[in-house]
Amino acid sequence: MTKEEKQMKEQMYEVHPQIPNAFSAFKEGRISRREFIRFATLLGMSAALATACSTPEVVEEAAETVQEVAEEAEEMVEEVVEDAEEMVEEAMGGPARGGTLTIGAQLQLIDHPARLSWIEGANVVRQVAEYLTFTDPDNITTPFLLESWEANEDVSEWTLNIRQGIMFNNGDEMTADDVMFNFSQWLDPEVGSSMLGLLSYLDGMNSVEKTGDYQIKLTLTSPNIGVPEHLFHYPAAIMHRSFEGDFIQQPIGTGPFTLEEFSDGERAVLKRREGYWQMGEDGESLPYLDEVIYVSIDRDASVAGMQSGQVDSLYAPRPADFLALKDNPDMVVNSASTAQTLILRVRVDQGAPWDDARVRNALRKIQNREKILALAWFSEGDLGTDAHVAPVHPAYDPREPDAYDPEGARALLEEWAADTGNSLPIQATIVTKNDAGEQEYAEALKEDSADTGFEFDLDITEASGYWERWDQVPLGITAWTHRPLDTMVLPLAYIGDSDGVPVPWNETRWVDEEFSAILKDAEATLDVSARREKIGQLMDIFSSRGPIGVAFFKKVWGLHTSRVHNMPAHPTSYDLLNETWVDPA
Amino acid sequence: MARFLMRSVISTLVTMLIVSALVFTLLEVSGRDVTVQILGVFATPEQKESLRKQLGLDQPGFVRYIDWLVGNDWRLRDELGNVQTVFNEISQEPEWYVLLDDGRFVRHEVCSRVEDIDSGFCQPGEMLYLVRNEDASFFRENAGDVWTTDPETGESVFWGVDIGNRAAKWVEGGGDTAFVSTQTGVQELTGAAVQWIPLRKGLLRGDAGVSLKTTRPVSKTLPIRIRNSAILAGLAFIVVMPLALFLGILTGINEGSFFDRFTSVTSLALTATPEFVTGVLLILVVGIYWSNNWLPGLVEAGFLPDWALESFKVPTTTLADSPNAIFEKPKELILPVLTLTAVELGYIVRMTRASMVEVMAAPYIRTAIIKGMPFRRVVFRHAVRNALLAPITIIMLHINYLVGGLVVVEVIFGFQGLGKFIFDHSIFGDPNAVEAAAMVTVLIAIVTRLLGDLAYTFLNPRIRYA
Repeated sequence: MTKEEKQMKEQMYEVHPQIPNAFSAFKEGRISRREFIRFATLLGMSAALATACSTPEVVEEAAETVQEVAEEAEEMVEEVVEDAEEMVEEAMGGPARGGTLTIGAQLQLIDHPARLSWIEGANVVRQVAEYLTFTDPDNITTPFLLESWEANEDVSEWTLNIRQGIMFNNGDEMTADDVMFNFSQWLDPEVGSSMLGLLSYLDGMNSVEKTGDYQIKLTLTSPNIGVPEHLFHYPAAIMHRSFEGDFIQQPIGTGPFTLEEFSDGERAVLKRREGYWQMGEDGESLPYLDEVIYVSIDRDASVAGMQSGQVDSLYAPRPADFLALKDNPDMVVNSASTAQTLILRVRVDQGAPWDDARVRNALRKIQNREKILALAWFSEGDLGTDAHVAPVHPAYDPREPDAYDPEGARALLEEWAADTGNSLPIQATIVTKNDAGEQEYAEALKEDSADTGFEFDLDITEASGYWERWDQVPLGITAWTHRPLDTMVLPLAYIGDSDGVPVPWNETRWVDEEFSAILKDAEATLDVSARREKIGQLMDIFSSRGPIGVAFFKKVWGLHTSRVHNMPAHPTSYDLLNETWVDPA
Repeated sequence: MARFLMRSVISTLVTMLIVSALVFTLLEVSGRDVTVQILGVFATPEQKESLRKQLGLDQPGFVRYIDWLVGNDWRLRDELGNVQTVFNEISQEPEWYVLLDDGRFVRHEVCSRVEDIDSGFCQPGEMLYLVRNEDASFFRENAGDVWTTDPETGESVFWGVDIGNRAAKWVEGGGDTAFVSTQTGVQELTGAAVQWIPLRKGLLRGDAGVSLKTTRPVSKTLPIRIRNSAILAGLAFIVVMPLALFLGILTGINEGSFFDRFTSVTSLALTATPEFVTGVLLILVVGIYWSNNWLPGLVEAGFLPDWALESFKVPTTTLADSPNAIFEKPKELILPVLTLTAVELGYIVRMTRASMVEVMAAPYIRTAIIKGMPFRRVVFRHAVRNALLAPITIIMLHINYLVGGLVVVEVIFGFQGLGKFIFDHSIFGDPNAVEAAAMVTVLIAIVTRLLGDLAYTFLNPRIRYA
């Protein structure tokens, strides 16, 4: 890396930690210049700067603001682009067309896509029908079937501009009418879509207005910055306006494949369609693949099938599958950072000892984060900073995780004991389940708490045994799933309702006035860099007096055979196959 | 013989009836809540109750059993009128309609769609006909005043057929608010029906019902599973039985020899190893080490010709990537059949051997040998026929296991068989699918027993049936 490049990356990092990654991707030719600019601007970089970083010709206005950087960038980018082009040409001569991709996944019933409740089914649907927006493997949301979106100042009005010229596989063009129809399906209680809960800020179809042939306006009853992310929720696949409720009978969408056969519990066969709107590197329509077959088999059978070359990939590999295949030279392992995590949480409403922030801070200090990550998730993750905000979140404010500090913990506990007249050690039972790394987390805590003033017992059951009491136990470890936006999970678990009573999923019963006020503010701040400041404050509150410890965030894996290319891993295990290709047989 | 067969048929039917009632009762008392399976664990009690009603599960168990057995359209004719099934050519599934006097097939719906109300087509709460076109599509038409007064409650009610193939009871005025099953929270719907009874013809009239898990007729998904299982079982049977009988007889007449000891110990070991261990070992050794490492090595070293690389490779899974994959890629059946061979072989070899040893020690065999009859003839004419009685019983019992009981083997190899079908649907709590599959396995059990009985008469003429 040249000095200039390093400097530039540092500058980008200050704007957002994800931008340097996107820049590297751009340099390596994995994303286009246009995409890089879109990422960078979405993450708070000024458009001029982003353009300057990626264009050989320096834009005049940009030159004024960031003259030096831009000039350096000019040469560098030219060089890099040349290098990358050469490399790509040498390496493989571009993607090959044709071929079949076989994926192992359990297939159940699919009827109305809006009613989907399982990702495997959505993965079949998403090859045929597409979404208005797209949250990429780096967790950045961009317009997809939309050309663009605009929100007003207080984020209560959203204008969605629909991309023109996109054809359904029945030959009709997608217009605002189709999108209106889909909103009416999501918001119709009779359909029973989980989108209805997500879009709770819409007052039925009264809030959705068609303002042009390719434009729709949403008027929110309460401001929300999550609209683009919500439109990529897996039940939000856009169906044709004539859709009557059974996807198997009417598989009409804008996607790159058509559904040839679906047989519950057996297989789904998808065939390439002509005239798909996205173009491949060779200037022809995507997709590169001729056929995608989902076979309904168990993960173990998929792993065996991958080793004999019968299966190319499998849905959401478990740690055991990852371990079985990662060292196999015929396999490719991709991983994606997520906001999936294990939350070490206490109940603060049951008196001593957990009502005192010093005790909670001591608990945070005895987390040996690297060790916990290694034991619980094979070092495949990002370290946490005791805030329920992950590095993949757009407004994450980067900071160093605290080191393991048993002496510090001991000191805090002694101070607490002296002040409150309690005696040490604190006896407590860590309750958790045993299916996703929680047990290893708990065991590491028990081990590393020796001589700190904590004395832990473990109460570990299978998953259902914990879910029966997850919000009841005084000290426990709870698994939380990935949500793409930083402000999505916080109001579910760390605030009270209007009367100050903890909301239903607030397992800690912790309600903090300052925290709630900043969060409310952040929830209405669309601008990422402005929001990052607020999220940073929230993260500080979490680590100074919050009710939880967060040692790490999990990565998920995508495993496929080496004949497959361009099949990225996604934080929510979505199969993104538009640009996937396989080696010719 | 005719009387014997006659009696067998009757006893078969009685057995099936008893088994079906038993399976139904077991599913009923197992406490499995199918609404949780459909709606997910976070569903509210109102949602579950609402779905329970829509599935007709609020009716007493014996009524549902009778419906399953003989159907319910005949008993609902008074309320519904001339209700009939019409075959939908597009979905290849039968659908229920009411045949009106004017020859049109209709279903019913309460006017509640925004566009219908906005356009003035109908008033909220009015009853609409969904009139069937020839191509299975439909158009809406105002049904007019179809309401009748319920003599007990005085309410104005109407019984019709809704779009979900259910008999539904509506109360006029749309005053009733129902909770509709959704995954998002309790949704209120005015004008919903107050009672539902899924329409069906009953098993005796050839309708196995609709699976709750797939929402498709059982008769569409079950046959392919039966076919797959029958093929796997048949192949295993063809491989195992001659081999096992041959080894059993050979060890039986050579009792104590090295060959006998070796075969006995090996078959004991195979029997003692559960099929999931055998299956996984075979996948590892044959499917992965052999195919990926040893075979390419042998070809490279010149011990095997180049074409062996592809043709001697053994696939590890049975991929149902097309409906007839089982015929297109027979090589995929090698490992499942080998696994079943390993499991079954031991039983039958040991059983045959023991039986053979016993017969060979009998006085009449000694007599035959002493009188100078050739040994081969003694074995085949006199010993084998008597020694086979016990193994035949075991073999016939095992056919049933091979067809319906291979859940573990099917899961390991991703095989789309009957065992996994029964398992999946039982876990789900899907009575129609489980009942239909149970009837098939009962039938197989009885037919194989019958074949066993006939085989006895052939092997031992002293046995007669009348």
